[in-house]
Amino acid sequence: MKNRFVINPVLCTGCRTCELACSFAHSVDGKMGRSRIYPLDGGMTDLWVPVACLQCEEAACIKSCLVNALRRNPETGAVELNEEICVKCMACVAACPFGCALHDQQHDLIIKCDLCGGDPVCAKFCPTKALEYKPFEPAKKKIAG
Amino acid sequence: MVNITINGKIVQAEEGEMLLSVIRRLKIDVPALCHHEAVEPLGACRLCMVEITKEDWNGWSKFVTSCLYPVEPDLIVLTHSDQVNEIRRTIMDLYLARHPNSPEIQKLAEEYGVLKTSYEVQVDGDNCILCGICTRICDAMGFHAISLVGRGHGKTVAPPLDEPPPDCTGCLSCALNCPTNFIEFSDQGNKRTIWKKDFEMLACVKCGATTITREFAEFLSRNRDIPFEYFETCDACHRKETSLSMGRIAAWTKEAQS
Repeated sequence: MKNRFVINPVLCTGCRTCELACSFAHSVDGKMGRSRIYPLDGGMTDLWVPVACLQCEEAACIKSCLVNALRRNPETGAVELNEEICVKCMACVAACPFGCALHDQQHDLIIKCDLCGGDPVCAKFCPTKALEYKPFEPAKKKIAG
Repeated sequence: MVNITINGKIVQAEEGEMLLSVIRRLKIDVPALCHHEAVEPLGACRLCMVEITKEDWNGWSKFVTSCLYPVEPDLIVLTHSDQVNEIRRTIMDLYLARHPNSPEIQKLAEEYGVLKTSYEVQVDGDNCILCGICTRICDAMGFHAISLVGRGHGKTVAPPLDEPPPDCTGCLSCALNCPTNFIEFSDQGNKRTIWKKDFEMLACVKCGATTITREFAEFLSRNRDIPFEYFETCDACHRKETSLSMGRIAAWTKEAQS
């Protein structure tokens, strides 16, 4: 787990390029899938927040999966869904406290961010670097308040 | 890792892994109705039959259900030989006689060129092929609410005593994974009915949207140590909350840095 997926809402312009890139990268049979990342304006007029799976350490989705379709990839640290095993009971969709496990109604699939197997396409296409996949560095300055 | 030959192509596979998983990984279209990765294979539908041979078998070959056959070194597999196709056509023919009204079976049989059954059609037949996916998934998830009951001609899938099953939580996994969509359920507003049992859907406290039943949520929070509050809000409202709190943190950071 060398790199981390970093979201910096301050730089986000809400252009939704990440959504488009995600839909293309996770297309099913040549048809665009539902995006795993959601830029929402968060109720603050000047800030857009791309919401994507936070790959929790103690993940509610893994706990809720009764057939063990969700497992952590030890290389990327991402929680990955095995679509073959998934029985579509929607337990993970209901359990995720961040709302980041989704149901793709068009293809009838449960989807969640898997960091594209260690090379997130959304971060590559983000024009303002609001999304980055980079080695983790602790904050230099402590922020007061 | 061992080398096996599938349709003339040498591929690597894990020893002991079932043949069907290797075949599916190569995107070779072998039909199977009773197969689901979440549960142990059963070999009930017989459609995943393949021809296997080895070089030292002196030209002999045998037919096995690939979902139940573990990979051996130097195996030569044919997934669509004439004889295999003939076996599949016979099975489709029998399926069509027993379940003439199932669109899924009609479609599959049509792909193999069986348009009409050569046997006598069972008039009062239903669409259940007794593959056991529903009961196996129910057992794997830990509910054990339904099972195959009866034997021979009268065998069906049913809850105990044909009454609303007390262990069912209405997760719908049996119905959604049924290969012939036989299991009936109704999902209307805040009410879900399956196996003659009524369930109350857990409505989002903010927008009223429903995802799972109250009983399923209670089961998960009880057995899987997940706080029940997590289930009370739907995924869209959860996302909004996440963006709100992340936005607030980002705004503070922005203020602190400027």
